[in-house]
Amino acid sequence: MSEKRSLRYGIFGAMMRSIPFFGRDPLVAADQVTDRALVAVIAILTFLAALTASAAQLTAATAMRWQVMMASEVTVQLKPQAGRSIDADIVRASDILRGTGGITSVKVLRREESAKLLEPWLGSASSIESLPIPRLITVQIDTRQPPDLTSVGKMLSDAVPGASLDDHRTWTKRLGHLSDLFLTASFGALLLVVMTTGLTIVFATRGAMAGNREIIEVLHFIGADDRYIAGQFQSHFAVLGVRGGLLGGGAAFLLVLALKLSMMFPDGLPFSGISEMPILDWQTVFVTFGVIMLVGIVAGLASRITVYRTIGMLA
Amino acid sequence: MANQLSCCNGIEISFDPHHALTTLKKVEGSLQAFPYRSVGELVRFENVGLRYGVGAETLTDVSFSIEPQSFQFLTGASGTGKTTLLRLIMQALKPTRGTVVLFGQDTSLLEKDGLTALRRRMGIVFQDFRLLDHLTTYENVALPLKVQGRDEVTYRAEVTELLNWVGLGELIHAKPPILSGGEKQRASIARALVAQPELLLADEPTGNVDPSLARRLLRLFVEMNRSGTAILIATHDLGLMDQIDGARRLVLADRRLYVEASDV
Repeated sequence: MSEKRSLRYGIFGAMMRSIPFFGRDPLVAADQVTDRALVAVIAILTFLAALTASAAQLTAATAMRWQVMMASEVTVQLKPQAGRSIDADIVRASDILRGTGGITSVKVLRREESAKLLEPWLGSASSIESLPIPRLITVQIDTRQPPDLTSVGKMLSDAVPGASLDDHRTWTKRLGHLSDLFLTASFGALLLVVMTTGLTIVFATRGAMAGNREIIEVLHFIGADDRYIAGQFQSHFAVLGVRGGLLGGGAAFLLVLALKLSMMFPDGLPFSGISEMPILDWQTVFVTFGVIMLVGIVAGLASRITVYRTIGMLA
Repeated sequence: MANQLSCCNGIEISFDPHHALTTLKKVEGSLQAFPYRSVGELVRFENVGLRYGVGAETLTDVSFSIEPQSFQFLTGASGTGKTTLLRLIMQALKPTRGTVVLFGQDTSLLEKDGLTALRRRMGIVFQDFRLLDHLTTYENVALPLKVQGRDEVTYRAEVTELLNWVGLGELIHAKPPILSGGEKQRASIARALVAQPELLLADEPTGNVDPSLARRLLRLFVEMNRSGTAILIATHDLGLMDQIDGARRLVLADRRLYVEASDV
């Protein structure tokens, strides 16, 4: 019997039907053309949904990492002041910072390093040698016991004219806002895709019911109740939903892994904040397969509700 | 044997001996009559009328009852409403007026669940078989048991036995499109009998088979009747009716139902 089933439904169908919920012989006649088209549509919709959800998850994770990185580092900028030695000011500022609690490391960027940062705007390092470029000190903060950055900034500007402390708060806030915005948009898109999937199933179920009208009538006459008939349609469309979901979700999963890999090393070099992330993590798996399950559930529920609403008219 | 028919409202009419209502003849090898044991009516129609749309009534003042373990034929010329009457019994149609009582329950008061429960007490053989083409013969015959939620292990043997009994033992994996008319008919009958219904409705069950197979199928109904199932066969086959001694005849003519007086 199981060998026969494998031949009739294919290995996938036989596997699905070995699960109790899907394990019945199908009373809803399979329409090869319609079913394949439906599986293709569901696969495309699931692909889009899984891609959207994965992109949202990736964005949220990256934004979070960047926010943590930005929150653990502050930058002190020293602008050259007329009549003052910037090197002496740097030493003074470094001493103040090293003497402050909650700071784990202080690194002074050399003049060449500061010049390199300005290179995209001011040209090659050699041509900006003569310019009074500001000097930078990067400060690592103990995020568990951070210092009061406002008082540190005031202390620095009092002791060293032209010194200012940038705690990246503005950027962190903007990044958080952007991340929230993207997440909201992604959730909306995901919702729309799932709704579209549901509506597609509704129309497919109505079509299938019209096509199987005679079967429904026979089932009624031989003593099947509405719950049993609805279960048959639900089972049929849940199988199609999960099949399409696995195809589309699987493709999206592979694409997300490829995109992640390409984002980690965009120009052959590690991309800070992303390259440290594992290529395959449980969040990506959870999101992708969560979407596949969601599509299967939506497909089953949409068909069940449609059957209950339509069955009365057919009966 | 009576030579008159009594109509639903008590009017007696004479009948043409050469017409469908001829006196039942005993033919060689004919089947024996079946005693009626009135335990409680399975079906009772009281002044039932049915009208499609706004036209004249298709059936008028139909009143009759079916007793448990009884055997009757429903006959009449084509288009007189035999199938319509069966559809009224199986609740595929609602009467325009009158009362239909099935298994002691007034069908006008039935909820959907109640209707399902009543249908499980009936077996139906459709004129056009209504087998599900994508299922095998075995799956088609087992369907009434399957929809009742029974585990296949509990009915596999009895379905196989029934299929052997109707001569389809070699075709249990075949699907209806490759079956002949007679094989489909037998599969349809087996499906109607498999749940051992209290009442069996058969619409022209021998319409697509040769006379010898018709006799064999009729024997099947007789066996079922002997084991306690009431049988109602809609047919216009006089030869078929003649093979059952003592079976009651319900005759549809002029939109009315005439119940042949029984000599039993």
